[in-house]
Amino acid sequence: MEYLWEGIKEAIRLIVSLDQEVCRTVLLSLRISLTATFFASFVGIPLGFLISTYEFTLKRPIITVFNTLLSIPTVVVGLFLYSLLSKRGPLGPLDLLFTPPAMVIGQFILAIPIITALTISAIQMVDPRVKWTAMTLGAGPVRTALTVLSEARFALTGAVIAGFGRVIAEVGTAMMVGGNIKGYTRVMTTAIALETSKGEFAFALSLGFILLMVAFSVNVLFHYFQGKRG
Amino acid sequence: MASLLELRDITKSYNDTQVLAIPHLVIKQGAVYGIMGPNGAGKSTLLSILAFLVSPTSGDLRWEGMDVNTLNKDVLRRKVTLIHQNPYLFDTTVRKNIVYGLKGRRMPKEKRDEKLLECLKLVGLRGFEERRARELSGGEVQRVAIARALALDPQVLLLDEPTANVDRHGIEQLETILKELNERSQITIIVATHDVNQVHRLSDEVIYLFNGRITAKPPLENLFKGRIVKKDKDLFLFDTGRIVVALPRERDSVSRIAIPPEDIIVSHKPISTSARNSFAGAIAQVTDEGDLVSLIVDIGERLRVTITKRSFREMQLNLGSPVYVTFKSSSIETF
Repeated sequence: MEYLWEGIKEAIRLIVSLDQEVCRTVLLSLRISLTATFFASFVGIPLGFLISTYEFTLKRPIITVFNTLLSIPTVVVGLFLYSLLSKRGPLGPLDLLFTPPAMVIGQFILAIPIITALTISAIQMVDPRVKWTAMTLGAGPVRTALTVLSEARFALTGAVIAGFGRVIAEVGTAMMVGGNIKGYTRVMTTAIALETSKGEFAFALSLGFILLMVAFSVNVLFHYFQGKRG
Repeated sequence: MASLLELRDITKSYNDTQVLAIPHLVIKQGAVYGIMGPNGAGKSTLLSILAFLVSPTSGDLRWEGMDVNTLNKDVLRRKVTLIHQNPYLFDTTVRKNIVYGLKGRRMPKEKRDEKLLECLKLVGLRGFEERRARELSGGEVQRVAIARALALDPQVLLLDEPTANVDRHGIEQLETILKELNERSQITIIVATHDVNQVHRLSDEVIYLFNGRITAKPPLENLFKGRIVKKDKDLFLFDTGRIVVALPRERDSVSRIAIPPEDIIVSHKPISTSARNSFAGAIAQVTDEGDLVSLIVDIGERLRVTITKRSFREMQLNLGSPVYVTFKSSSIETF
């Protein structure tokens, strides 16, 4: 019990004193996950828009695939990416394994299904009169599409936040293609997993607190934007 | 007045079912038209054709004497604007809604703002520029939609049931705005409506539509198809598939009946009278028509009933109120 109490006290001290190592880890986590979410939104939102707007033969199966990918284990994505990026893999010459860009790619792959799936449902929720009204007022296809996206903006913000929430908290991919190199690829989740096993309990605990706060804020924001869509 | 639109032998079919057949109709520049008819009469189809949003299946449609097939549809659509029954306002400010179409035309900002103020003034909503569309009332939404359409300087304004979700005060304002618009700018206005009084207050000419055809007389209401299922010595029973109505013994074969809305009595409890037909139902729709109130009572079929505003108030009726409707078999018209 003493041990636990000491750990908590030390963790709070690390956070309050803005410990350099804690800060560096948190900032790297945020940077990698925000970058991955940004690129995933860039792909996932247009993709979701196209899937929900157009009718084509494989529409239902494709939506099912995206919904299934929502629960893909992060270590599997890590494994897949590792096999591509390792020295003997097809992308080995790029020398990306155990670098931040590799982690960004991994989280990008993880975030795409959730952003796409939530975009599909967001666009389906948009009133069909939006498209019709935009066209009557002389908007061409591109402006009509932008208007539909703009009407769905709260739900789309929710989709992006949900994507960020998924990747900031994942450990599997970051561990496998990042490798938890101190000061280079060490992020909150990998640090918690490995520092705990090394006995650096207070350090892990302080990161745990911060991660929990980030996850909590993400959820609050997500529900705020989901609530606004009505 | 010059002829703006001319329809000759126009028909429209969906999946081999003809929904509209108009031998000849002329829409003149600067006039106000009312289109009346029951649900499914073809009002919305006619409006969509006049707005160039839907092409007729066959026939000749002319704009200022020219065959519309030889003209650019995008250019035509800018001259005619249709405002739906429930217009959609984008979830932003009134200003952005109104300038939406102007931005597409690359109008400079100062001109856009000038147009914005002018159109808001026309619909009596000056000072509403920065209001959120979601915070407006039903009547205000209609007026913003009209302003948004007017910003594009159309020659013809088409309105589909513009007062369906608007309160009495809002209806009066809308009617005044439409009349003023027509007088001031000679814009042609075509309004589809259920409201008999409104159509006479507003229009120079009334087009009655029934089963997709233009008729000379106001169309019958509460018209139901069916057949006689039982013949007693003093009355016949007519089954519409949803309700069974008692008819007087007049004709041997009846395929349609019409029940005049003003001959129907509404009560809270079943009443015992000589009237043969009494049904329990619930009020499904309420429309204020000035001194009268028009109700749709769902008794299995949707029955339109008109009562005076005074009885409507005294009976404390509301949407969803359970009521009984009673009518004499002798008031029913049979065909």
